[in-house]
Amino acid sequence: MNGKNSVISSRVEALYRDYGKRAKELKDEGKTLIGYVCSFVPVEMISAAGCIPFRIRGDINEPVTKGDTVLETIVCPFIRSCFDLALKGKYDFLSGIVIPHGCDSMTRSYSTWSYSLDLPYAYFLNIPSVVKPASFEFFAEEIKTYKKTLEAFIGHEITEADISQAIKLHNAYRNKIRTIYDFRKSDPPMVSGVEISKILTVGTSLPVEEANALLDEIIEELKTRSEPPLKTGKRILVDGACVDHAGLVKLIEESGASVVAETTCNGMRDTFPLTDEQEDPFTGLARRYLDKINCPKTYRENRAGSFEGNIADRFGDIGRYAEHFHADGAILYVYKYCDPFGFEVPARKAYYNAIDLPLLWIEDLYSSGTMGQIKTRIQAFLEMIEQ
Amino acid sequence: MAEQKKKHKKRRTATRAAASIGPMVKEFIAGTVRAQREGAQKLAYSFIVCHHEEILRAMDVLPIWTENFAGVCGAKRDAERFLQRAESLGFSRSLCTYALCGLGFDHWREELGEMPPDAPWGGQARPDFMISTGQILCDPRAKWYQAAQQYMPDVPIYNIDLPYPLYHPDRDHREELPYYHKYIVEELKGLIAFVEEQTGKKMDYERLWERVRLSDKTWNLIEATYDLRSAIPCPMGTGDAMNTMVPINFMMATQDAYDFFLNLKQELEEKIKKKEGVVENEKYRLLWGGGLPSWFALGDFNYFNSKGAVFPAETTYRMVAPIAEMNIPKTDDPVEHLAWRWLGYWTFWYDKARQRKGGEPDVERLINYIERYKIDGVVMHEAFSCRTWHVGLIWQLHQLAKIYKPIPVLRLGKDGNKTQAWRENPSLVLESDIIDITSYSEVDTRNKIDAFIDTLESVAKSRVD
Repeated sequence: MNGKNSVISSRVEALYRDYGKRAKELKDEGKTLIGYVCSFVPVEMISAAGCIPFRIRGDINEPVTKGDTVLETIVCPFIRSCFDLALKGKYDFLSGIVIPHGCDSMTRSYSTWSYSLDLPYAYFLNIPSVVKPASFEFFAEEIKTYKKTLEAFIGHEITEADISQAIKLHNAYRNKIRTIYDFRKSDPPMVSGVEISKILTVGTSLPVEEANALLDEIIEELKTRSEPPLKTGKRILVDGACVDHAGLVKLIEESGASVVAETTCNGMRDTFPLTDEQEDPFTGLARRYLDKINCPKTYRENRAGSFEGNIADRFGDIGRYAEHFHADGAILYVYKYCDPFGFEVPARKAYYNAIDLPLLWIEDLYSSGTMGQIKTRIQAFLEMIEQ
Repeated sequence: MAEQKKKHKKRRTATRAAASIGPMVKEFIAGTVRAQREGAQKLAYSFIVCHHEEILRAMDVLPIWTENFAGVCGAKRDAERFLQRAESLGFSRSLCTYALCGLGFDHWREELGEMPPDAPWGGQARPDFMISTGQILCDPRAKWYQAAQQYMPDVPIYNIDLPYPLYHPDRDHREELPYYHKYIVEELKGLIAFVEEQTGKKMDYERLWERVRLSDKTWNLIEATYDLRSAIPCPMGTGDAMNTMVPINFMMATQDAYDFFLNLKQELEEKIKKKEGVVENEKYRLLWGGGLPSWFALGDFNYFNSKGAVFPAETTYRMVAPIAEMNIPKTDDPVEHLAWRWLGYWTFWYDKARQRKGGEPDVERLINYIERYKIDGVVMHEAFSCRTWHVGLIWQLHQLAKIYKPIPVLRLGKDGNKTQAWRENPSLVLESDIIDITSYSEVDTRNKIDAFIDTLESVAKSRVD
């Protein structure tokens, strides 16, 4: 079903366009919503607390104005946009925020966020920078502190059973996203990159149970879809930080290609790894968020002893996804002032070269104003890989 | 660039101690190159403010402070060629320019197999290993050496994780300290094991204790020395402190650092006795309230001085706090002590911040310095390439403005009487970079300083009125 009764083109589209619409309704119903940025926040704990995790997104069409009066312009443009919207009241339905140690732009602006928004609950979650036995142990303790602060906020205990149940629900969500990704394997894919971008964005703005029900409907719809939404074209993997809007993917697909995978912070980097349900929940969460989320912020020891071996270890998941989804090329999309990704650009370029996957590297601002220039570069890149 | 370098004058210092720093830095950079040639000591790329100097010194490892070398390139106005090389490799100019300078230099040196031509002060030696650090302080410190491994794949890295709990006004951070401490101890022990493997030597823990005690003693001495700057007229400003930061940050755990501050303290005491200030007619006392300096434009401090303004205090690079006030638990283990000191330093202002409604540690420190050093205005610097030290500064100034209002306020004295006081404390934010000179305009900067001085003058007049 591709028509106006489609879940994707009606419900997903509406929730995407009016981001936070459902959250406002839930707030009016007396629910408690906790906002967060970055993939590093264990949303399971928020759900286990009986609250609703809500991923704060930016808006590429909204110029940063109010935010610039208190936050420096050298902050990552994505975080600036999120903060600006929050300050302008776009997320007034939130009762709290969780900001993790995802990067300097998040960490150093935590005070600015927490004091400027002055929400009843604010928590900075410390994430280790390395992956070692001691760092898992530390992180599990930090998650326990995070749990305690949530308990103090909601006024009751969060039991291990609550957490285990939330882990199951969020794992189910991630499995359903994987199922939707399977519809991309065909050529042309049976679900477009733009549709996936919107689904990913919308999914993290809903209570996990509602998101799961919505994904079930989407899966059913895709099963019955008879016509692919795109023509056959070059298959592109998008790599980089958080791309929580469909603008970039739309440019790529309007240029005749299909986006078939996103190793981005709100894409497969976040949605593919699962929490081990057999482990003690704190250990399971610590492992998922610290080790399985492959973020450049986390330092991984060079066990290979060579540069080639090291990049194969660090970026091997990208290569596997590229192969799985039959990518013909990749676009590395990095924001200006992003130190974690920025310092990896030469190494990532070397990796793409090693796996023989053509790459276009774009450094951008989080703004619709740059999309024209980017489109020209994308078109040139697609022409190059056509040859 | 050569023309620019030729024209660049050396900055005037107020103290003999600050003037002695240049040759000292030159010598320890040259010393690392010499040590590499002689092969007697292992060399380690290192970052400042990791509380691991004691470990390195106790194991006879010679640190190569890569941020320092980048700063030297900046101060000599010779960073641009290394920055351009890093850009050509695919690193964006928006990233930390210390790191870009280092990466550009390393790539060039590795390509040539020798130092790049006319390398500042003989260049930066190739390390035997690198100690990076992913603390909640600086992303580039976790990424820089990893990126450098692309050009030096045979040089191993130990990444030491050094977190500390962030401030939450409604929570006592002490509840979290045990697991933070345990983790940091593990990390420091991991570093010791790594260095033992790299050097083939075992750690002598008695020797480590000696180094730790020496550092603690130096920390207290630095506090006592810098407190002398509260004198009127001020005997030493931030311009000089950007030199004296060298023993604090690059020479800690050495007798030389301790002796340096003994001499500086004596010099400042003499100046105070003679009422000898940085400027002859001290009009304004300013706080350097945040941001790393533009190393290529330290002469701007002299420009402030020429207007009768002096900086008795700065938050930048004053990476020590009074040990006695940290309540460090007693321990027989020097590694445990280092971990407690790390946490003590980063949480030092937390309790004080909690005592003020809406308080925050960074702001509390500013308030403390404003009062302690009798400050008339605050100057900050926004370096475009560094998020670590330059995010949150505008917000801090907003918070300060709530306390130091441009209106008279009533103060309740100990005798119960109310007196009217003017507490306005204007601020100035300079914009440029740490070493990227292309971001700097001397004319614009000095126009801003002139306008700020006018504001200070106007505020001073209001106070008199």
